[in-house]
Amino acid sequence: MVLAALTGVGFTYAYAEQPALVGIDLQLEEGRLHGVVGLNSSGKTTLCSLIRGVIPHFHHGDLTGEVVILGRPLLDWDPAELSRTIGCVFDNPFTQISGIRETVFEEIAIGLENLGVPRDEMIERVESVVEQLGIEAIVEKNPNELSGGQRQKVAFASIIAMDAPVVVIDEPTSQLDPEASEAVFEIIEGLKHRGKSIVLAEHKIDLLAQYADTITVMNEGTVVMHGPTRDVVGSDEFGAYGVVPPEVTELGRRLAAAGKPLDRLPIKRAEAFDEISVRIGRSTHAH
Amino acid sequence: MTNNAVAAVADRYRQPMTLGNAVLDIHPIAMVAGITALIVVGLASAGWIVPLAVSALFVGIAYLAGRGPSYLVTILKLWIAVGLILFALRALLVKGETVLVPLGPIAITREGIENGLRFTTAVMVICGGVTLFFAIVSMRRLMLALERIGVSPRVSYVILASFQAITDLGATARVVLDAQKARGIETEGNVFVRARAFFPVLAPVFLTAMTATEERAIALDARAFNNPGRHTSLLNLKPLTAVDTVLVVLSLVVAAAAVTGGILGWF
Repeated sequence: MVLAALTGVGFTYAYAEQPALVGIDLQLEEGRLHGVVGLNSSGKTTLCSLIRGVIPHFHHGDLTGEVVILGRPLLDWDPAELSRTIGCVFDNPFTQISGIRETVFEEIAIGLENLGVPRDEMIERVESVVEQLGIEAIVEKNPNELSGGQRQKVAFASIIAMDAPVVVIDEPTSQLDPEASEAVFEIIEGLKHRGKSIVLAEHKIDLLAQYADTITVMNEGTVVMHGPTRDVVGSDEFGAYGVVPPEVTELGRRLAAAGKPLDRLPIKRAEAFDEISVRIGRSTHAH
Repeated sequence: MTNNAVAAVADRYRQPMTLGNAVLDIHPIAMVAGITALIVVGLASAGWIVPLAVSALFVGIAYLAGRGPSYLVTILKLWIAVGLILFALRALLVKGETVLVPLGPIAITREGIENGLRFTTAVMVICGGVTLFFAIVSMRRLMLALERIGVSPRVSYVILASFQAITDLGATARVVLDAQKARGIETEGNVFVRARAFFPVLAPVFLTAMTATEERAIALDARAFNNPGRHTSLLNLKPLTAVDTVLVVLSLVVAAAAVTGGILGWF
């Protein structure tokens, strides 16, 4: 089944002079991890909001074209049903906290309370996501007193605990250190293996190249590239929209430019490691 | 914190909530009923001894709840800042026949002092009751109790979020003032300097709060806040016990008797 099908979609926020999205044609399959990249103000957040239904149910404006989510036109979805079906983590961690719970444990449980999950199951699910995200040390802290990175993890945990079949995530690692970012991506990959569909807007292209099945590149409100991660990230066109390719891809290109190309252009660290190991092996044998 | 420690925290949520104090653990609805009844008793009395006694009783309750010192400090500040001024104004301005201290065009009279004592103790019994309410009643527990008797989760959210908003506005104002300070704007000094620095930050503080409110509403929607089905609760609030029920009924009876007594001039 198709997760999201957008045909000729444009959107202009109310009172905005310029459209945020222009002529978007995009099809995202279910059960995959879809990465969305682009410079700031390229339309990533608006695209996420559209797929989640925040547009047009909360953010009003001029929406044109056709948006179909899980086989049903977006406008036919009830907002409450959307919130049960599509989990969403937004990019600003400071407004992700409800402000009415006294501990992180209670904060993570809010979504489950609203879904009517029985208490024992709720506690088990919260315990599980606390362990997955490694936030054991803050479970008893007041959510209003957390740092940006901690809030980001708590917001992420809250949505993961709800176990929605689709998750839209907007820059979940913007305030996290490299280790925590890697951990978040591993959890996201785990979600995919459990059959979830994920749309992930992110600047950390190295991690996206490693984990995403498809990449959508946005520029000035339009989709300029879309396809399997290797095809998009490995393309010469990829860097033309201001998005910096993964370090290992850049390394491969520079080696090629120096007349020492690798057998295959790497987009993941493991691939680069393998390619360079082969090269070193050959070099050793030659001597 | 180890996984065992998290399991211990989780276990706490499986048990009925306790705050580790017999007074604090009284059902919040019974607490509200009790405090309200005591305020009514204080207001119904025609004299000043009963409201003063009720005010003293509030202090005693606060000590029993383990919140005594902080409550006492707050209430003493209120007595000094509000009570003394009210008393002085009444004592000086209410006219009477028994002049105790003539002060030029005005005079302190016995009637003025009695009126001042009556008015001040009545106001202070309200202040004391409200302060005690915030000192010993957990808003989260109270809202949960109200949700149990049919109050919409939306209403309880608005109430809880409003209290949190006061804290948030203060925090945002401090951030903006610090930013101003970092840019070399004087934010410390006498009242006028502080006022000159503070008033200009009100607009950005409130605008930030309004933007955050919209984003927070969307974030809450993402957590199925608008789900029309039955909501459950992580917190395990004990239902009204027999003692709580007796307290509620007793509060109603006492309040009704106090009003009746006040009208009939019993005390």
